[in-house]
Amino acid sequence: MPSRILLEIFKIKKFTISLAIILLLLFIGLVGPSIYPTDPFEAVFRPEDPPSSKNPLGTDSYGRDVLAQLLHGIRMSLYIGFTASLIALAIGVAIGSIAGVKGGLTDEVLMSVTNVVLALPSILLMLLIAAYFKYRDPMLVSIIIGVTSWPWVARAVRAQLLSLRAREFVHFSRMAGYSDFRIAVEDLLPNMAAYIFMALVLLMSGAMMAEAGLSMIGVGITRGASLGIMLYWAQMLEAVRRGLWWWFVPPGSVLVALSASLLMISTALDEYFSPRLKGR
Amino acid sequence: MTLLMAENIKAYYFTRMGTIRAVDGVSLGVDKGMVLGVIGESGCGKSTFINTLMMNIRSPLRFIEGRVELDGLVISEMSREQLKKDIWGKLVALVPQSALNALMPTMKIRDFIVDAVRQHQDLPKEEIVGMARRRFEELNLPSDTLNLYPHELSGGMRQRAVIAIATLLNPKLLLADEVTSALDVSTQKQVLNLLADLRKRRIIDSVVYVSHDIAVVRQVADKMAVMYAGKVVEVAPTEDMIAKPLHPYTTALVNSVLTLEPEVRKRELSYLPGEPPSLINPPRGCRFHPRCSFAKEKCETEEPPLVEVSEKRLVSCHLF
Amino acid sequence: MEGEKAVYRGLLKRPVVKLLIRKVVFLFITYFVFITIIFALPRLVPGNPLAEMLANILQTMQATPELVRAVERRLMEEFGLHKPWHEQYIEFLGRMLRGDLGTSYSLYPRKVSELVFTYLPWTLGLLIPATLVSWIAGNTLGALAGYRRGGRFDNALLPVSLILSQTPYYWLAMILLYTFSVKLRLFPLGGAYPSHVVPSFTLEFIAGYLYHYTLPFLSIVLAAAGGWAIGMRVLVIYELRSDYVDFADSLGLSDRKLLQYVFKNSVLPQVTGLALNLGTILGGSLITELVFSYPGTGYLVFRALTRLDYPMIQGTFAILFLTLILANFLVDLVYMVIDPRIRTGYIGE
Repeated sequence: MPSRILLEIFKIKKFTISLAIILLLLFIGLVGPSIYPTDPFEAVFRPEDPPSSKNPLGTDSYGRDVLAQLLHGIRMSLYIGFTASLIALAIGVAIGSIAGVKGGLTDEVLMSVTNVVLALPSILLMLLIAAYFKYRDPMLVSIIIGVTSWPWVARAVRAQLLSLRAREFVHFSRMAGYSDFRIAVEDLLPNMAAYIFMALVLLMSGAMMAEAGLSMIGVGITRGASLGIMLYWAQMLEAVRRGLWWWFVPPGSVLVALSASLLMISTALDEYFSPRLKGR
Repeated sequence: MTLLMAENIKAYYFTRMGTIRAVDGVSLGVDKGMVLGVIGESGCGKSTFINTLMMNIRSPLRFIEGRVELDGLVISEMSREQLKKDIWGKLVALVPQSALNALMPTMKIRDFIVDAVRQHQDLPKEEIVGMARRRFEELNLPSDTLNLYPHELSGGMRQRAVIAIATLLNPKLLLADEVTSALDVSTQKQVLNLLADLRKRRIIDSVVYVSHDIAVVRQVADKMAVMYAGKVVEVAPTEDMIAKPLHPYTTALVNSVLTLEPEVRKRELSYLPGEPPSLINPPRGCRFHPRCSFAKEKCETEEPPLVEVSEKRLVSCHLF
Repeated sequence: MEGEKAVYRGLLKRPVVKLLIRKVVFLFITYFVFITIIFALPRLVPGNPLAEMLANILQTMQATPELVRAVERRLMEEFGLHKPWHEQYIEFLGRMLRGDLGTSYSLYPRKVSELVFTYLPWTLGLLIPATLVSWIAGNTLGALAGYRRGGRFDNALLPVSLILSQTPYYWLAMILLYTFSVKLRLFPLGGAYPSHVVPSFTLEFIAGYLYHYTLPFLSIVLAAAGGWAIGMRVLVIYELRSDYVDFADSLGLSDRKLLQYVFKNSVLPQVTGLALNLGTILGGSLITELVFSYPGTGYLVFRALTRLDYPMIQGTFAILFLTLILANFLVDLVYMVIDPRIRTGYIGE
């Protein structure tokens, strides 16, 4: 992407603010656990203590430090969100571009499959798949989320390809004797870079939400902390009804902040790249 | 008798990239019964100009100064509400550039017409439909069109229906913006015939016809005005202008029609050296001077006024 | 006789009928795929969870030996694990078609279908009104914001809906429950009706029901409306710039009328959006039920998932998906009624 475009994008306030929020949380997730080295799983404090100078976000019913859990949870949620969205993106872009470039029967078959998977409610599908695994590590959860959330990407990529294909430069490449595959990889996909980035951003926010949903209903990761797992324990041990707000407010707020910032980034990019939304 | 008089009108777009001087001091008159053709490359401001003629100004476009008088009414001083109530659709109507998508897609044409007429006249539904039916028949348009949705019509038919709807209340002036540019030649002919028919039946008095295609304008216009970079550079009766263009830009335009194949002509003057100027920072002096082979020193500094050089002929060029 | 046939053929040729048939076939195929996934998953996952489950039950069930044997027999029969897989599959499909979803073992010996149908009405009673209200409210607010884009209302609504749209229903539920029930004591702490009344058509029950209904309903409505508002706002902004609006405007049509047009055309994609999002809405509201201890399907799913009650998992999911498919079909029907372009075959799938 030419640097001029990047420069202009950074001038969009909501883009920069959202990006700052995400980078901040990313930083917290990556570095936080080493700066604040309290063990999130060690039950050494007084249970259900409200926030204090010793435990800035209080403790849970087992006497574990909530802030430490939150720091590890952010890291885990970002990890699952990112891995799952990469998986979904890879499947979606592959299927979408093969369908869009090849056309004909290939296109029809791939799109029928995509439409069927799109019609299956992804959240039910995720729950169902997760239910059959006794141990679910972060990678497995990412895969489960990834393989159920790609269809809209495939459709969108295909639609974009079809509209790009109609443009002149593809015609030139074809006349120059390039294969369909090379055209897709060398001409078309770079033209869709911004678009694919937007898809990644949206997938990531969806994947983090999905992680939380899976955990809440009891089929999230089996070991470790994530934002969803924190909410799960808060729910299981009646934190809400017993007024232990420090247990469920922080993870939920972080989740909403992350997801809303990601959405804002994609909206800002969308407005930048599709002139119809800009004040002409 | 003058129907429409525009005096020194200026209309600019205010955008983040800067001020676009789309119409920058244009004066033109349209007589009763006359067809005025406005010619220019895309991006010369002709579409903005035609909208300004009916005071259809919407943000980010702003009317800067000037005066527009239509049928004795100074419409440049009217509010948008007043224009919508008493002027638009009644006294002046616009057929837009993209007439193909101009009709409300999820409504039968009949129902849209009822809505449109009711804004001006409180008539029962049946009466309006009857009126529309009679008008469609008069203009040789199939009247069952009224019971269809826009997407059920062909492109040419849609274009003609838009024109028939715009002229339903017998506006004195019709503003036509590139109405044939998206059509094939035979449909083009139908649309042009429809415009002629409307005038013959005295449904409308005058037409301002905007196009980049000088060959089409030549078929319909009595008088032509050439626009370049937000300004009118030459005005003359059609055949006089074709026979003897004065402004160097007009000369280039006319030559393109006379010498080149129709297919090539559509590529909008690609033979003329240089790009059409930016309307954000138009060239100083005569705006055509960077592309003009006759440009003198004076052309770079001093803007030539539009002056009458002979009877009915106006040109804005230091050569005259 | 001949005439009748011709009428019949003519009917089949009408675009709307063709589309309807295609839709039904498509939904049927999707259901079939889903059922197949339900069947295949436990048999594909390494370590065969079903067999493991059987072993688990036999070890952990605190019951008489006769009961253990009865459960074992029932489960072996229902899953037919000793038979070749294609026989198992055909039997499974047959049972699903007959509506026999098997026997729950965590709530032995109750039938899964009976359990699901006791809990499902609570879920639907919460979900359907909440979805409709949020859809209508979100679209109305979004349309107004888009129409006055950049205005005070838009500037206030946009950030709120943006955040709400990214708030999980269940977390909003937690916040609302904490604020209004725990802190302010305005609403009950959970359940669907007061514990001392029996579900019936009495004023007491209905009042109690609505009292318990408020917070779960609000959680779903608020969180879902944000998304609809954002979508509608963008659609209206796009639509306002379309050519037909300009033309109608230049004919002198009032702003009110133009807004009506724009609203009508923008709401159409939102109807499709509703069909597409039903699954997500259902998923979110199932978890919301947990927060409020609402006796709906969410509770059943949670129980089944945490106790590895596979017959119940399979049965509940099959019925939930069937419900979604029916809802999807209904929304599509509504769409066909309101969009003339579909009726006349202009736009297909």
